[in-house]
Amino acid sequence: MQALRVLGIESTCDETAAAVVEADAAGRGKILSNAVLSQIAEHAAYGGVVPEIAARAHIDALDPLIRRALDEAGCTLADIDAVAAAAGPGLIGGVMIGLTMGKAIALATKKPFVAVNHLEGHALTPRLTDGVEFPYLLLLVSGGHSQLISVEGVGEYRRLGSTVDDALGEAFDKAAKLLGLPYPGGPQVEKAAALGDPERFEFPRPMAGRRNPDFSFSGLKTAVRLEAEKIAPLTDQDVFDLCASFQAAAVDVIVDRCRAALRLLAEKPPTALVAAGGVAANGAIRRGLARLCLESGLQLALPPIGLCSDNGAMIAWAGLERFRLGFVDGMDFAARPRWPLDSRQDPRWHGKA
Amino acid sequence: MRVLAIDTSLPAVSVCIYDGDAQQVVVRETLPMQKGHAEALMPMMERVQRLGGGFASLDRVAVTVGPGSFTGIRIGVAAARGIALACGIKAVGVSTLAALATPLLFSADELIVVAAIDASHGNVFLSAYNSNGRVLTSPRLISLSDACRLLATGQVIATGSGAEGLRETARALGQEILVDHCEAWPDIAAVAKLGAAADPETAPARPLYLKAPDVTLSGRAALPRAVS
Repeated sequence: MQALRVLGIESTCDETAAAVVEADAAGRGKILSNAVLSQIAEHAAYGGVVPEIAARAHIDALDPLIRRALDEAGCTLADIDAVAAAAGPGLIGGVMIGLTMGKAIALATKKPFVAVNHLEGHALTPRLTDGVEFPYLLLLVSGGHSQLISVEGVGEYRRLGSTVDDALGEAFDKAAKLLGLPYPGGPQVEKAAALGDPERFEFPRPMAGRRNPDFSFSGLKTAVRLEAEKIAPLTDQDVFDLCASFQAAAVDVIVDRCRAALRLLAEKPPTALVAAGGVAANGAIRRGLARLCLESGLQLALPPIGLCSDNGAMIAWAGLERFRLGFVDGMDFAARPRWPLDSRQDPRWHGKA
Repeated sequence: MRVLAIDTSLPAVSVCIYDGDAQQVVVRETLPMQKGHAEALMPMMERVQRLGGGFASLDRVAVTVGPGSFTGIRIGVAAARGIALACGIKAVGVSTLAALATPLLFSADELIVVAAIDASHGNVFLSAYNSNGRVLTSPRLISLSDACRLLATGQVIATGSGAEGLRETARALGQEILVDHCEAWPDIAAVAKLGAAADPETAPARPLYLKAPDVTLSGRAALPRAVS
């Protein structure tokens, strides 16, 4: 196998990112640089990502960030074998910026261009960080997605389950907003939960015990709101306890749904359980998954926190894996605001991801 | 100086390569479109550079930075900055309004040249120039009636998608404005010429929106907290 270096560009949500990733002759991955600029401060006042603000921030930041990624990797574009950019799914205004700039760089340097599905970036990250072999079970939990996917090869994904309403990260953010915690809510809920009693409130574990490894979080979010309204005005301890009880319910659901997915895969067991997406940075969820894997003897691959949230390295790596197999894309590749990893659709997912 | 010029700010996608020394457009292409700029731009770039001697011969990239469609502006700027980075050359920004006005300047009539882009709801993005190209009114978002009051003193020729609205509003106010009936998007050769003349230090390839992002605060408010 030939050693390869790929530049990766990510701009699908509120992180502007660029990275250079290398695979050696044995195919082992290495991150040479990973420059990420978060827009959290720009969106904080609105309590969520504002697409137009995100797009404005991406266009200002992206090319300096690409320069930085190249500098930190100690290389120039001449040392790059291919340029990869996330082409979706995500906020179309941002996606088009990274996609267009990536294409422009590829065209002007006569390098191959690879359009990457942002979710595929998350899905293949454990192969970069832990060298995990196919097939493996991927738990993808972020502000926009809650899915369990059997990753069977590059470009071969089988969605086993999906949320039927809110994504888990969305539920964390909405709970935080309700409880008056600052944006972004996920890490704040985790911090507050550490000081609270997870057993004070008995919140539902939606979907627990069902055969299909689907998720549902809107009922849990509503339960938090109803309990909180009952006892408002809220003391600090109330908020801590609500967060702890909510997080405990979320962890139970995640572990139960992973079990359901593993049951579906019993005939050809996965090599590992892998978590990705921003919510995979949550310590309680990481501990829950560690317990599950300890019980079942399954390898657990948790990317470092910095590689759970959106980043350029995951796009560079997915681009590298695709390029290695001969997948390249043309200048006419269009941004895809919706782009499921698999073509399989189930009516119970209501088009949610 | 060889300039690659890009415009995706209005209802068209245009690319050209311009030879500043010979003052000649080497190759150019324009496709009118309401949407689909992002999909059309890079394939067009591929065609134009193939016919125009490739990227290695370029000394500069010029791009219209607005005002215009926010998304359109960003697509052009993203492409321009990407090519500038890849080729190690400068990217410069050109005002869409200046590019619209350019073909009407330096005529014998000494008219005030107004470039106006329809910004809907009775507003235009507008800039005015004297016949020598000096800026009389810097780019701004303005209502049609305010624009007419601003332009009341001179003999005016207007161009761009907002020109007709400007004439109608002026007529209602008893003023007469001439309208230049050319396309609603800039001549890409004008973008290239302005780009060749621009100073990269003062004309960065950075979007000129002239309008704050439209943001609505939504969602439930936080529950009340106990006072300790």
